[in-house]
Amino acid sequence: MSVLEVSDLSIRFGGLQALQDVNLEVNEYEIVGLIGPNGAGKTTAFNCITGFYQPNTGSVRYRGQDVTKAPPHVKAAMGFGRTFQNVGMVKSATAIENLKTAQHAKAGYDVLSGLVGTSLTSKRERELTAKADAILDLLGLQSIRDKKVGGQSYGTLKLLELGCALATDPDILLLDEPTSGMGPEESDELGDRLLTLRKEFALTMLVIEHHVPLVLRVCDHVYVLNFGRLLAEGKPSVIQTHPEVVAAYLGGEAPEALEATTETAEDAELDALTEQAARHHDDPDAPAPEVDHEPAPPTRRRRTAAARAATDEGEAERLRPKKRATSTRKKAAAPETTEGDDQ
Amino acid sequence: MTAVDARATTPAEPAPAHKQGRDFGPIRWLPRILVLAVVAYIFLWRIPQDEGGAAAIAADACIYAIVGISLNILIGHTGQLSLGHNGFFGIGAFAAAYSLTVREVPFALTFVIAGVVGALFALVMGLVALRITGLYLALITLVFALTLEESLFEVEWLTNAGAGQPADRPEWLIADSNFFYFCLAFLVVAVYIDYRLLKTKTGRALLALKENERVAEAFGINVTAFKLIAFVISGTLAGVAGALLAYRIGLVTASGLGFNLALTFVLMTVVGGLGSRIGVILGASLFASLSFILEETWMHEVQQFLVGLLSFGSTSAEANLTQYAVGFLGALGLLLTIVQFPGGLGQQLRAFFDWTWGKPFDVHALLHPQDDGPGAVEGSSVRA
Amino acid sequence: MDPMALEVVVPVVSGLIQGSVYGLLGLGLVLLYKSGKIFNFSQAEIGTFSAMTAAFADQGVGPFPDLPVPLALLVGLLTGLGLGLLIERVVVRPLFSAAKVTVVVATAGVLLLLVALGGFLSGPEPRSAVRILEGDFLTTSSLRVTDTGALVVVVLAVLAVASALFFSRTRTGTAIIAVSQEPTATRLVGISVERTSALTWGIAGLLGAIAGILLSGTVGVVFPGSLTFIALVPAFTAAVLGGVTALPGAFVGGVVVGMIESFAQTNIPKDVLPGSGKVVLFVALLVVLLVRPAGLLGKET
Repeated sequence: MSVLEVSDLSIRFGGLQALQDVNLEVNEYEIVGLIGPNGAGKTTAFNCITGFYQPNTGSVRYRGQDVTKAPPHVKAAMGFGRTFQNVGMVKSATAIENLKTAQHAKAGYDVLSGLVGTSLTSKRERELTAKADAILDLLGLQSIRDKKVGGQSYGTLKLLELGCALATDPDILLLDEPTSGMGPEESDELGDRLLTLRKEFALTMLVIEHHVPLVLRVCDHVYVLNFGRLLAEGKPSVIQTHPEVVAAYLGGEAPEALEATTETAEDAELDALTEQAARHHDDPDAPAPEVDHEPAPPTRRRRTAAARAATDEGEAERLRPKKRATSTRKKAAAPETTEGDDQ
Repeated sequence: MTAVDARATTPAEPAPAHKQGRDFGPIRWLPRILVLAVVAYIFLWRIPQDEGGAAAIAADACIYAIVGISLNILIGHTGQLSLGHNGFFGIGAFAAAYSLTVREVPFALTFVIAGVVGALFALVMGLVALRITGLYLALITLVFALTLEESLFEVEWLTNAGAGQPADRPEWLIADSNFFYFCLAFLVVAVYIDYRLLKTKTGRALLALKENERVAEAFGINVTAFKLIAFVISGTLAGVAGALLAYRIGLVTASGLGFNLALTFVLMTVVGGLGSRIGVILGASLFASLSFILEETWMHEVQQFLVGLLSFGSTSAEANLTQYAVGFLGALGLLLTIVQFPGGLGQQLRAFFDWTWGKPFDVHALLHPQDDGPGAVEGSSVRA
Repeated sequence: MDPMALEVVVPVVSGLIQGSVYGLLGLGLVLLYKSGKIFNFSQAEIGTFSAMTAAFADQGVGPFPDLPVPLALLVGLLTGLGLGLLIERVVVRPLFSAAKVTVVVATAGVLLLLVALGGFLSGPEPRSAVRILEGDFLTTSSLRVTDTGALVVVVLAVLAVASALFFSRTRTGTAIIAVSQEPTATRLVGISVERTSALTWGIAGLLGAIAGILLSGTVGVVFPGSLTFIALVPAFTAAVLGGVTALPGAFVGGVVVGMIESFAQTNIPKDVLPGSGKVVLFVALLVVLLVRPAGLLGKET
C-alpha cells in the first residue's frame, strides 16, 4: 500500500486554477521528487496535502485512509512532517526550544498535568530535551543549541528546520526546497543526509527541489508539475530527457540542453531566491535571503495582484533569464497559475 | 518579549555556575542572600505589620500582580491584546460576592465559582478572538470593557439594586495582615502556574502560535485549542483575583471595575514588561500602591509643591491633583515604556534580577538594557 | 402628529443629532485609520480637552481673560490642532516602525494622560460648556431640537463631504493615501512621510476638537473623560459600521449608530437590561466585525 496517494487534486483561487487533476503516489521508503518551474503549483500541492488548503476536488489518502479534510495539526500528529519554502520556525526561540516545540504532538502529557507539574511531566520533558539534543548532534548543530533561531544564516536555518520536521516524529517527510540558500557543496551534503535519514528513520519523502543534481541522485521517482497540471512522471533519468519537461523548464528544444546541469541548477536557485525575496516583501517576518545581488521581483505572474504588479511584471520580464522568457511566451495560451500565498 | 526571555529573568533556570566564569564559592552568594533577606523582611514582615495601612495595600499589590500574570499570559505569551480584562476580573468579584452573600456558598467555594465564571467569560472572548484579530480585537475588547461597566455591573440582582454586593471575610481573615498572606499564597500559586506554563509544551505552543500560526500547525499544535486554553487560564486567574478583590474591599460595586481599571491593567503589565514575570509583578505592585505612596509618604510633600504650580480654575486643587496623579503617572509611565524603554521595568532592572539569581552583575545589561530587547507589545498578532 | 408617528420620529430625530456627533468623532478615527492603519483611542479625549479649554476661555478661568464666544471656540480648536500635532510628534512618530498594536496601546496611554491633565486643570466636577447657539431650532409638544443640535447635523454633513473631496481631489489628500499604502515608494517620489503624518494628525485633532465642542454644547457640560465615556464606543462603532476606509461611511455609520442607540434606550427598560444602548452597540460591532469586516461602505482590502 502506498504511504501517500493523491487523486485528482484540484484547487482554484478566485479565477486561477492553481492545481488541476493532480495525481501522485509515494510508496513506502521512497524519495519522490516534485519539480516544475516557479508558479507551477508545487507548494500549493504541499499545502493541500498537509491540510493548509482545502482542495476543491480530489482526495489525499494516507496509508489507505482518507485524510483530505484533516487540519494541519492533526496531519502533523499522524506523521506528516513538513518544511516551508521560506523557513518555518519560531524565530524568537532558541534552536533547542524549536526542536522541543516541534515534538508537541508527541509530548506525552496533557496541559493540566503540565501545569500541575507531575513527575511524568518532568520525565517526559527530559526525554524531549534528550531527543532534541540527539537531533542537534545528528545535524551537527550543537553549536547553535542555545542561540536564537532568528539570527542564524539561511543555510543553517534550512538544516535546523529539517531537524524540526524530524522532531515531529514523521512517517512521511515533505520538504519544500531543502537546498535553497545552500551552496553546491552543502546541497550535495544534504543529498547524503537525506539518504542517511531515510535509512536511519525508515522515512518516506516527498521533496520539492530545483537543484537538479540532487534530484537525480536521491529521488526514486519524479513528478513534474507545470501550470498546475502533471506534465510528466517517471524515473529521474527518464524525466531528464523528457522533451516536454525540457521545454517547460528551459524553453530549449534539444534534450542535450539538460546536460548543462550546473547552469540549470544555478538558474533554478536564483529563481528560488528571488521568489523568497518576493515573499519577504509581502511578509516582513520572512527572513531575507542570503544573496549579494539585488533581489529581483517575483517571476510568477499574478492577475489578481495590486496595480504595482504591472510594473513588477515588466521588470520581471526584463530580468528573467532569456531562455525562461521564451518559455513564458510559448505557454502564453495556457491558463496562468499562481502558487497562492505560501506562508 | 518572548517566553524564552522570561525564563532567563526568572528563577526558572538559574544559569549554571560553571558557565558564568569564576566561582567564588559561598562568598559569591553572600551579598545576594543579604539583599534577598532585606527584601523579604520588608515585604513579608515590615509592611504586613502596618495593620490598616500598608498591609491592605500590599494585599492589593498581590491581587493586581495576579491580574498582571493573567494578562501577561494573553498579551505576552500568546500575543492576544485584551483591553477588557476588567470584565473577567469584575465578574469574578461579583460572582464571589453574590454566591457568598446571596446564595450562602461556603467561602472556599466562592473562589472556584469566581474562577469558573471568569474562565467562561474569557472563553467567549477567546472564541471572538479566533475570528477577530489585531487592532480589531483590541477595539472589541475595549468596547467589551466599556459595555460591561454600564450593563452587567448594573444589573439589579447581581449588584444588590446598585447598592453593591457585600462580601465579608471570615473571622480568621479580618486582620489585613492575614489577608495579605492569604493573597500572597494565591500569588505564589499564580506564579507557579505561569512558571509551569512556560516550562512545558503549553508555553512553547503559545509562543509558536503567537509568532506564526502556520508553523505552529505544522508542528502539530492545535492553534484554536491552545488560543482558547490561554484565554481560559488567563480568565480563571483574573476571576480568582476578582474574588480576592471582593473580600479585600468588602463591598463590590460597578464603580472602580470599569474601563479605567481595564486600561490600568494593561498599563501595569506593559510598564512592568511583557514577558518578564518579575517585571509584571513589580509593575502591578507599583500601580496598586501608587496612590498610597503619593498620599502617605514623602511624595506627598512633592505633591503639595506641585499643587501651587499646576492647578488653576478649581477650588479643590489639591484634591484634583491627588485624584488624577495616579492616572497621570501611569499614563506617563506607559508612554515612556512604549516609546523609550520597550522592555519595561523587567528589562531595565534585568541586570539586578539576574544578579540576585546567581549570575555575575552584568554592567553592560544595566547600561544598555535594550540590546536584545524586543518591542513592548511587539508580536501581538496583527496579521491582515 | 399622531402618537405612532411620534414614537418613530422622536428617536429618529434625536438619533440623527446624537449620531452626527458620533459621526464627527468617527470622521477623525477613519482619517487616522485610512492614513496610518491606527485606531486612535484618544480621539474623543482630544475633543474633551479642547472643549474644556474653550470653556476656560469662555469663562475666564485660570490664565484666560474672559473671551467672547467665537474667540473661546478658536482657543478650543487650536487646542485640538496642537494636541494632534503634539501626539504625532511625541508618540506616533517614534513608533513608525513599531507594531500597530503598540501604537494603539500608546494612544490609550494618551487618553489616560489627557484625562489626568483635564482633571488637574478642571477637577472632576462637570463644568458648563461653551454655549454656541442659544435658541431652539424646532419645538413641538414632544420634540425639541436646539439650534446646536441642528448645527451638529449640518457641520457633520459638510465635513464628511469636504473630507471625501479632500482625499479624492487634492494633491495633499492623495499624498496621505499614498503614504498609507506605500510609504517607501511615496518617499521615493518626494513626498515627506513625516510631514504627511503630522498633517493627518493635525486635521484629526481639529476634527476631534470640533466634535468635542459640539457634543459638549449639546450635552451642556464637560468633565474629564466625558466624551470618551459618552461617545468613544459609538464613534468606533460608527466608523467600523460605515467602513473604516470610507469617509462618508463615518457619516452614515454615525447616524445609524445614533438611531440604533436611541431606539434601544427608548424601547428596552432599564430594569430589564441596564445600559441597553451600549449593549446593542457592542453586539452590532461584534456582528459587523464577524460578518462584514469592511463595513457597509468600505471595500475589502
